[in-house]
Amino acid sequence: MRETDLLVVGAGAAGLSAASEAAKHGLAVTVLDDNLLPGGQYFRRLPTGYHHTHETVFDKERQRANALYATTGQKGITYLNDAVVWESPENGVLAFARGADSGRIRAKLTIIASGAHDRPAPFPGWTLPGVVTAGGLQNLLKGQRVIPGRRAIVAGNGPLVLLVGATLARAGAELREVVEAAPILKRLAGSIADLIAMPKIVRQAVDYRLAIMKSGARLRTGWTVIEARGADELEEVVLAPIDATGKVDRSRARAVKADLLVVGFGLMPSIELVRLLDCKLEWKPLRGGWVPVRGADFETSRPGVLAVGDGAGIGGVEMALREGKLAGVIAAERLGKLSRDQAANLKAPIQAEIAKVETFRRGLERLYAMPPAFLDLLTPETIVCRCEDVTAGELRARQDAGFGSTAALKGTTRTTMGRCQGRNCLRTLSALIAQASGQPIEQVTMPRPRLPARLVTIGDLLQEELPPIEMPKDPHLPRGERVS
Amino acid sequence: MAGSVFVETPPRDAEIAVVGGGVAGMSTALFLARAGRDVVVLERGVPWGDASGANAGTLSLQVKRTEVLDLCKLSLDVWKRFGAEMDIDVGFGQPGGLRVATTEAEVAHLREYSEEQRQGGLEFEWMEGNQLRDMAPWLSTSVRAATFCREDAYSSPLLSGGALPAAVGKAGGRIVGHAEVTDLKREDGGYRIETKRGALRVKTLVITAGPWSGQLARMLDVALPIYVDVNMLSVTEPAPKILDRVITHIGGILSLKQLANGTILIGGGWQGRGRFAGMEKFADHVRLGQNLTTAVSVVPDLAKLRLVRTWAGYEAVAPDALPAFGRLPNNDGAYIAAAARGGFTFGPAQGLLISEMILDKPPSTPIGRFDPARLLTGAHA
Repeated sequence: MRETDLLVVGAGAAGLSAASEAAKHGLAVTVLDDNLLPGGQYFRRLPTGYHHTHETVFDKERQRANALYATTGQKGITYLNDAVVWESPENGVLAFARGADSGRIRAKLTIIASGAHDRPAPFPGWTLPGVVTAGGLQNLLKGQRVIPGRRAIVAGNGPLVLLVGATLARAGAELREVVEAAPILKRLAGSIADLIAMPKIVRQAVDYRLAIMKSGARLRTGWTVIEARGADELEEVVLAPIDATGKVDRSRARAVKADLLVVGFGLMPSIELVRLLDCKLEWKPLRGGWVPVRGADFETSRPGVLAVGDGAGIGGVEMALREGKLAGVIAAERLGKLSRDQAANLKAPIQAEIAKVETFRRGLERLYAMPPAFLDLLTPETIVCRCEDVTAGELRARQDAGFGSTAALKGTTRTTMGRCQGRNCLRTLSALIAQASGQPIEQVTMPRPRLPARLVTIGDLLQEELPPIEMPKDPHLPRGERVS
Repeated sequence: MAGSVFVETPPRDAEIAVVGGGVAGMSTALFLARAGRDVVVLERGVPWGDASGANAGTLSLQVKRTEVLDLCKLSLDVWKRFGAEMDIDVGFGQPGGLRVATTEAEVAHLREYSEEQRQGGLEFEWMEGNQLRDMAPWLSTSVRAATFCREDAYSSPLLSGGALPAAVGKAGGRIVGHAEVTDLKREDGGYRIETKRGALRVKTLVITAGPWSGQLARMLDVALPIYVDVNMLSVTEPAPKILDRVITHIGGILSLKQLANGTILIGGGWQGRGRFAGMEKFADHVRLGQNLTTAVSVVPDLAKLRLVRTWAGYEAVAPDALPAFGRLPNNDGAYIAAAARGGFTFGPAQGLLISEMILDKPPSTPIGRFDPARLLTGAHA
């Protein structure tokens, strides 16, 4: 079994910052990354050997990005790419799949920086080819320089909408519409005092907006996508305004031709691993939903396991970079490489920066608070679980027949049981249950966490050396405890 | 909830109460309701929520002991009739099954075991060499021989978990979830049942509560020794055809099958971890590895697939590993299906046979040897 002082799961902004800082203070750090190259989502880059001539909005980030990438070569850091952490066989040990190099690793301390994924937003047509998520589009653009279409519409809620719009505009797409569901222009005055805590980001947002305007695209706020139409692939997108009560006003709906619709209704923390580790969770809708409960110094309810970055609650890249760095200091202090005073001196400036980012985020959260129109978009034919092709109509019929709990809906329709392990449907399923039962969504039972935390190739799991198999003498006889 | 098969609280009086909403209980309730009887199912949690939903759905004759072959044949027949005659989609499939042997010793064991089963009435074909490769080119070359039983089958624990309760409701039965039974008493020639959703009086009581059955029997002063295994099960991502028979292993713990949706279920009865008291059950890392190793050693292509999910489920087992069902000793009008070793396989037969007892019909197969009275503490050596 491998051993390390500090294990960092994830090599995005938070994970790499944590690793870099911890190694600087003398810890032996191992980073497990399920990507091929370091950087995570925000700092995703082209595969080695690829070149491009086209400038993108990310070129401004090159300096920060390169510094992060360089972390993997830093003294004291072992970087293992293409490694999927899938289970914790015992306290302080994680098992990972990595081809012939699969195995286990024991760490004195673990920092989970698992990042985030797109929040599912089902509406009629959302599974048509030509409809992609904001995260998916960013991946294609940053990792492959591919735009999967020509005439593009971006719709959703949150700062990613502007970013994706600007990215597409600069990358040469024919951007038609950029549609933000929250009435952010009306709210700007009430948020600006907090937002200017991060003036650089405000400037960046203005740049994004200008890029969108310059492209000729129409920028709508207080509107949403309500349907994607097309025979075999996307042909047109139906947009409609949201009224003051949060209802979609279908009477003013209009259809726009497009072959690419990018949908981004925010991000959700990737909590598979903290769930598998049985860390306590709390419901923080403004941070993306379920997040691990963290004590002082980012520790989860599982001793020795820290969580940072978007995986601990959506905070964006600026928060992730700083939380990671702070976690690196915390790890070095806890493992005896820094005295309490030394650590306090290092922590203070980072904490001050985090406070600024938090102020900024409060402004952002007020600005983008989503009107509650979500489930109104579901028609009976709308697919909720795309792995198993389960529609909203089927789920509602099951609910009416009395199969209304998470377990019963899962069991009878297979919703959440496909390849995505629930990432693309559990939130919608919970919302449907909450709507039918009148409970708040956070009181809807979550399915029990199961291993593997992520899909892993069976062949990889066989690399581990196992004790010889002991066969029971008579396999029919009971093997478990007597219960009566 | 108009049209729901579930009711929020039990009626104050009913003719028959079935305690336990898994496969044995739902089957019992189905046959009774279809015979026009007034039956209510009381389930401690969500119907089908424990063992019946967490098992692999393997319905294999040839893995069973000779003593239970007739019972097993009856149950397979009922499983088949659910779909064929009663329009209840339980995802039944009967591709036949291969029981494999990978070493000389296992081949010898398989010959001996299958010969005993032949005498017990099992029909199978001995397969080796080219014949075996032609039938199952996807088997590892390490498989030296296998017995092929055409009757080996499977049904879907997920589909049946929706379909059977719905069928019970359609036949006029009622189902109450979250109605854990807290007390049982004999009263006026019947039974008084206290549940977390209210009390009811019934003439006839049927306990079909899997591993909880022993605790319920104890409320009526019957001490039955019941053990509980924690079986692990894994499922892969959907894949094009990898295998098209139900696989079991004479010398290793293994069951394998590919379902209609392309996913492959890998199980066999490897033990997870957990305690029954706290309802805690988890996969065990080492034994999962051993389970997968065994699976890949028989069907090498499995190594290329990705694992989607592993879980663990309870299985109630009697000390002699034979089914234990019939009249509840010393309690007139009470019946029990307490354990089976293969509870999913046998559930429909147990339900049919218990309903036949209640309806005063002759049993479809003799059941004397499964009488739970044999297990009474003291009677069991």
